[in-house]
Amino acid sequence: MSDNSLPLLEISNLKTWFNAHDANQSEIVKAVDGIDITMHRGQTFCLVGESGSGKSITALSMIGLLPKQVTSHPAGRILFYPEHKQTALDLLKTPEQQLRTIRGSQIAMIFQEPMNSLNPVFTIGDQIIEALLLHQPELSYEAARMKTIQALTDVCIPNPEQRIDNYPHQLSGGQRQRVMIAMAIACEPELLIADEPTTALDVTVQKEVLQLMKDLQRNRNMGLLLITHDFGIVSEMGDQLAVMRRGRLLESGSVQSILFNPQHDYTKKLIAALPHNLQQHKPEYSPAQNSNQTLISIKQLKVWFPIKKGLLKQTVGHVKAVDEVDLDIHKGQIVALVGESGCGKTTLGRSILRLTEPTAGQIVINQTDVSELSRAEFRPFRKTLQFIFQDPMSSLNPRLTIATTLTEPMAVHKICDTQQQRIDLAVELLEQVQLDASHLWRYPHQFSGGQRQRIGIARALALNPDFIICDEVTSALDVSVQAEILQLLLELRQQRGLTLLFITHNIGVVEYISDITAVMYQGKIVEQGLTDQVCTNPAHPYTQKLISAVPRIAA
Amino acid sequence: MTELNSNSQPSASSTQTRYSFTQRVIKDTFTRWGARIGLAWIAILTVVAVFAPFVASSFPWLISQSGVVTSPLLEHLSLADVTLLMTFFTAFFLCFTQLNLEKKAIILIAAVIITLVAGSLTINPPKLSIYEHYRTLHQQGDVDWVIYPPIPFSAQDYLRDYGDTGLEHPLSKNDRRHWFGTEENGADVLSRMIHASRIALAIGFIATGIAMSIGIVIGGLMGFFSGKVDMIGMRIVEVFEAIPTLFLLLTFVAFFGRSLYLMMVIIGITGWTGYARYIRAEFLRLRQQDFVQAAISLGLPLPSILFRHMLPNGIAPVLVAASFGVASAILSEATLSFLGLGLVGEPSWGQMLNQAVKSSSFNWWMAAFPGGAIFLTVFAYNLIGEAMRDAIDPHLHKS
Repeated sequence: MSDNSLPLLEISNLKTWFNAHDANQSEIVKAVDGIDITMHRGQTFCLVGESGSGKSITALSMIGLLPKQVTSHPAGRILFYPEHKQTALDLLKTPEQQLRTIRGSQIAMIFQEPMNSLNPVFTIGDQIIEALLLHQPELSYEAARMKTIQALTDVCIPNPEQRIDNYPHQLSGGQRQRVMIAMAIACEPELLIADEPTTALDVTVQKEVLQLMKDLQRNRNMGLLLITHDFGIVSEMGDQLAVMRRGRLLESGSVQSILFNPQHDYTKKLIAALPHNLQQHKPEYSPAQNSNQTLISIKQLKVWFPIKKGLLKQTVGHVKAVDEVDLDIHKGQIVALVGESGCGKTTLGRSILRLTEPTAGQIVINQTDVSELSRAEFRPFRKTLQFIFQDPMSSLNPRLTIATTLTEPMAVHKICDTQQQRIDLAVELLEQVQLDASHLWRYPHQFSGGQRQRIGIARALALNPDFIICDEVTSALDVSVQAEILQLLLELRQQRGLTLLFITHNIGVVEYISDITAVMYQGKIVEQGLTDQVCTNPAHPYTQKLISAVPRIAA
Repeated sequence: MTELNSNSQPSASSTQTRYSFTQRVIKDTFTRWGARIGLAWIAILTVVAVFAPFVASSFPWLISQSGVVTSPLLEHLSLADVTLLMTFFTAFFLCFTQLNLEKKAIILIAAVIITLVAGSLTINPPKLSIYEHYRTLHQQGDVDWVIYPPIPFSAQDYLRDYGDTGLEHPLSKNDRRHWFGTEENGADVLSRMIHASRIALAIGFIATGIAMSIGIVIGGLMGFFSGKVDMIGMRIVEVFEAIPTLFLLLTFVAFFGRSLYLMMVIIGITGWTGYARYIRAEFLRLRQQDFVQAAISLGLPLPSILFRHMLPNGIAPVLVAASFGVASAILSEATLSFLGLGLVGEPSWGQMLNQAVKSSSFNWWMAAFPGGAIFLTVFAYNLIGEAMRDAIDPHLHKS
């Protein structure tokens, strides 16, 4: 079937530049700056890089989906070798009309966000059938429908005969991503481009979707261009690997050779920053001497959200986000709370800080049950409990300087007497999170994501708290920045004797940072114990499934 | 809000010039050309409105009668004129002091109250204004010398001593110079416009100010607390939206007579619903933002969360709406004047336009000048609103 002597795709010296027009000057952003990639049929080619490295732009250049007004390709070729034609096609020079027939039928693309990439007003069947009929007009509607059902069967959607008439909102996130894959493969493309296809999915679902893509690719001898930031996925899926940074390819070759014998310094740094490689550099800390002193004790905590229906808004049921949870957190420990999206881990964290009001149960902090206190009575406790948020973009007030952000809570809680002292303290805090004193007078948008997360940490430290809840603090960050933030948190714990509740979905991070791990599933804590024990020898079936689904770099 | 200003004290640790949020927004707003032009127009209008009796009046600034120099103009100043002048000068001098906003506001209010109390006891302008009195004296040669204001006609001076002077073209007579012509009763159009600018500015500022303050507080509480507060709030909004402003004004005019202040208050308390809706929607969005959650978890007090962390991030649509609100308040007043519910005797731009419409022949100067003034004022407010919206967004801030 395939002719392996000819490549499927050959990118040579591709340059994609954007003209960023400002009122005064026009600036050229070299998003992709001369890269070469050669892909063969039946191969998975992984493109890895941190955000902003130009990996998605490369993919979008290939199928011509970039806005024409601002994009230019000053050099380069993207040669695509269709199966039944002898001549290669330069995708950059192909007219839009012809490109449209290639897109979807010969080259298909899967996007990152399954929630947004399906049209909510059409059934999934309609959307796949439309694509099919467009590219294969000789098909009858019935034949197209049969083919669609076949495609849905291929992607392991249960009951495809019924599911074909469902609307996107009736499907879960993982199923939607399967539908996207079904749509992409229905026309039997020769090249499938998957741009972070599983980033928005839970780890157990991710495993299934990745397995599915792997099988489909083997069976159909497709070429798969997989764009990802996760070296675990690369190791499980890839044949070839290329590492990108700032629009350039730093290194490319076989996955095994690069993962275990990286040549370029940047690749080495990236691989060293993986949580499971960080393990060796973990600073020594033994919380044993004070670990029997309970700081926070959660007893039978329930957070139920009422479901209201009808004209009079009667409560017809509850969403049990947190359901009878018991958790003891000892002084000086880092407790990791792990679970998939929607399991209630964030709600639990927020309810400890009373950002979400608990429905029932007790939260005992230093022998005081705080769940019954009024807002005013709880205010003194806010000083000892702090929260670091997931999204560094939205967690800082964009209208206030860093100085104001840091000093205002100090003033409210009467730390220091004069504003000058508070500013000095803020400088000290910034230095602790490895930022410069001059950053004090800037606004949040002038910082990178990692720097903002550091400021978020500094703000949490401003009141000198005992206990900090870290809600997915690294999931919006690149892997090398993630490593820096994790190390910073460990250092701070050592310096200040902090207790952390670390909420995350990333098992690798859990293994690196935490002493105790609690696994949450559907509002309940199903397993808790020492991290080593939970991760290497899980007892609960769900934990076992979760741990085994984590993509790891396999030798 | 005290915290906001205390940041401006210099510290050795940084080299950058530092401004508090408010200072920066004001500075940024008025480095933009559009806002400068808009502000220039509003400033001219304000000065003209405050000094209206000095600029356009039938009473001479100074007159010397058989060696005795008097100022009929000052004698005819009303309590409102004096209060306005006092407020203006106090505000003007406060601009150059280093006090913070709260202290400035307190001093200003104190000055106004003192003027009002002292003025009501001492200022006693003659009940009867005989506009042509000094003109006649001058013509009869009974004076040594006389200094007139630049426009020597009061707004309500119908020039009876000159006979029928109605509907004269601008600059049509050489002996009496009417820059913008005269209206049908013979009064000078420019003088009427100058005096009307007071009403335009006052009604725009005060009515919109009342509406905005009510709207921001109610909308903010609705958005922040949501749930029951929101439901009750929205019902109140709907109730107020169902009130026809015009009929309410009619009723009030019937019961309490015609009053400018009543008009401002009614336009204000019926017009806040739009602002409340904007602020509510913005606050509902902002409430879920992490930085607001962070402010709550830092234990900041509610006023700080609402007005410092949320309001600056949600004020942009309100400011833009307010710039239109000022315009629509001016137009509301014009509508009322059109219906004959405006003030009696006192001129307003709307009422002048109305005169032009009702006149049997088309007298362009009666429509063009007041119409142009309304247009420029509305335009100026829009320019300032736009510039402010840009300045409040640090993403557009050139650093």
